[in-house]
Amino acid sequence: MAEPMVQLKGVRKRFGSLEVLKGVDLEVGRGEVICILGPSGSGKSTLLRCVNLLAPPEEGEIFLEGRDICKGPGSGTGESSWNLDFVRQRVGMVFQQFNLFPHKTALENVTLAPQKVLGRSKAEAEEKGRALLERVGLGDRLGQYPETLSGGQQQRVAIARALAMEPHVMLFDEVTSALDPELVKEVLDTMRELAGEGMTMLVVTHEMGFAKEVGDQVVFMDGGVVVEQGDPRQVLDNPREERTQKFLGLVLER
Amino acid sequence: MKVFFEQYFDFNVMGEHFGEVFEAFLQNLLIFAVATVVALAWGLILALLRQSPGKKFLPIRFLTIAYIDVFRAIPLLIVILLISGGVPFLTFLPKSIRIPQWFGEPDPYWYGVTGLVLVYGAYTAEVYRAGIEAVAGGQMEAARSLGMSHFQAMRYVIVPQGVTKIPAPMLNELISLLKDTTLVSVIAFGESVLVSREILAERLNSSALILTAFFFLCITLPMARLVDYLIKRNQAKITRGAHIEVA
Repeated sequence: MAEPMVQLKGVRKRFGSLEVLKGVDLEVGRGEVICILGPSGSGKSTLLRCVNLLAPPEEGEIFLEGRDICKGPGSGTGESSWNLDFVRQRVGMVFQQFNLFPHKTALENVTLAPQKVLGRSKAEAEEKGRALLERVGLGDRLGQYPETLSGGQQQRVAIARALAMEPHVMLFDEVTSALDPELVKEVLDTMRELAGEGMTMLVVTHEMGFAKEVGDQVVFMDGGVVVEQGDPRQVLDNPREERTQKFLGLVLER
Repeated sequence: MKVFFEQYFDFNVMGEHFGEVFEAFLQNLLIFAVATVVALAWGLILALLRQSPGKKFLPIRFLTIAYIDVFRAIPLLIVILLISGGVPFLTFLPKSIRIPQWFGEPDPYWYGVTGLVLVYGAYTAEVYRAGIEAVAGGQMEAARSLGMSHFQAMRYVIVPQGVTKIPAPMLNELISLLKDTTLVSVIAFGESVLVSREILAERLNSSALILTAFFFLCITLPMARLVDYLIKRNQAKITRGAHIEVA
C-alpha cells in the first residue's frame, strides 16, 4: 500500500487529569472507510478531534498525507496555525448535533467557508454549493433555514457544507445518533455514496449494518486504546477480544 | 398641599422655561446618541478581546478583564471628574485632545461623552459576552473545522447569533446611559439638569426639574416597555422552538 492518508502513532490526549486517549496507533489508507466503535467515553470522538486538531494531542504523532501535523515549525507538540490551515483544508467534519449555522440558509451554510477561507467568489461558491446540495438530495431546499429542515436534511446539509471545502478526508462523529430512526437511512445513504466515490472516511458510529457493509476496517476502542481492529465481518461476527464480545453482545441484544 | 404643588408643579414656571429646558434636554439626547454609538462599538471590541483564544492572548485577556472590572466598579461621576479635571493639564497631549471642541461642541461635552463611553463600554462588553456565551459551543467547533480562524468564526458565526440574544439587556443599559447623561452637569455642561438647577436657584422653585424628569420619562418609559416586549417575544420564540414541525 502507498503512503497512508492518515497515520496515528502513540497518540495521547488528556483533558485535565483525565487521560482520554492512552496511546492510539491507527493507519488509514487513501479511499479507505474506517468505522470506529466502542462504548461511550472510550475516546472515539476525541480521536476524531485529534485528527483535525480541534483537540490537539499532547503526545504522539499524527501524519496527514505524510506530514506530521502535531509538529509545527518550532512549536513542538500542539496547535500551530501553520498546521491548522494544512489540516482543516484537507479534513472535513460532520457532527452529531449537525451544528449548522442557524442564522444562515442551507445554501449560505455551504458557501460561507469557501468564500471566507478559500477566497472563492460568491457566484463560484454558490454554483458549487447548489451542486453539492443537489447531490445530497436537497436541491429544492437551498433557501431554507436549518430550523425548517428535518434532522436528516440538516445532517445532509452539514455533509455538503464539509464537502464544499474539498476535503481529502471526512470525519463523521456519530452523525446519525441524534436522528429519529426513520431519518437515519437518508444520511447513511449519502455517506455510502461518498464512500463509493472513493472518499477517505473515519466514521464513529453505532450502526453495525453500515460498518459491515461500507467499512473497509472496523476499529473497536475501549478505555482510550484500540482493543481490536480488522475486517468488519471478522471483528463484528467473530471478535477475538473479550471486551469486544461483551460490547457487541450489549449492543446487539437491544 | 397647595405649597407642595406650587413648589413642584408650578405650570407658570414650567411654561416660562419650557423652551430653555427642552433645548437643554436635546443636549442630553445628543450626548446619549454619540456615547451610545461609540460605547456599543467599544463594548464589542472589549468583549471580543476578552474571548480571544490561546496562550498568546493571555495578557490581552487579562488587561481586558481588569479594565472591565475596574470601570464597572467605580462611580461614573468619579470617571467624569478625573477626565475633566485632569486631561486638560496633560501637557504632553496635543491641545485638540486636551481641550476637545470637535463638531462645535464644548470640551465638557466631550469629557462627558468619554467618561460615559469608558464606563458603558465595560457594561455593554458584559452584555455582549452573555450573548456570545449563549451561542452553542458546537458552532465554534463547526466553524473552526471548516478552516475559519477564531476571528472569522466570531465575525461570521458567533457574534451574528449572539447579538440576537441580547437586545433586551442591551436596551436596559442604554436606558441607564441616557439617565446618566445628567452627570455631565457637574462639569458645567449646559444639559437639562444644569439648566433646571439654575432655574431652581433663581426662582426657588423645583418645577423645572420636574419638567426635566418628565422629558426623560417620555423617552425611557417607552424604552422600558420595548424591553418587556422583546423579552416576551424572545420567550415566545424559545417556547415555539421546542415544537417546531419538521418540514
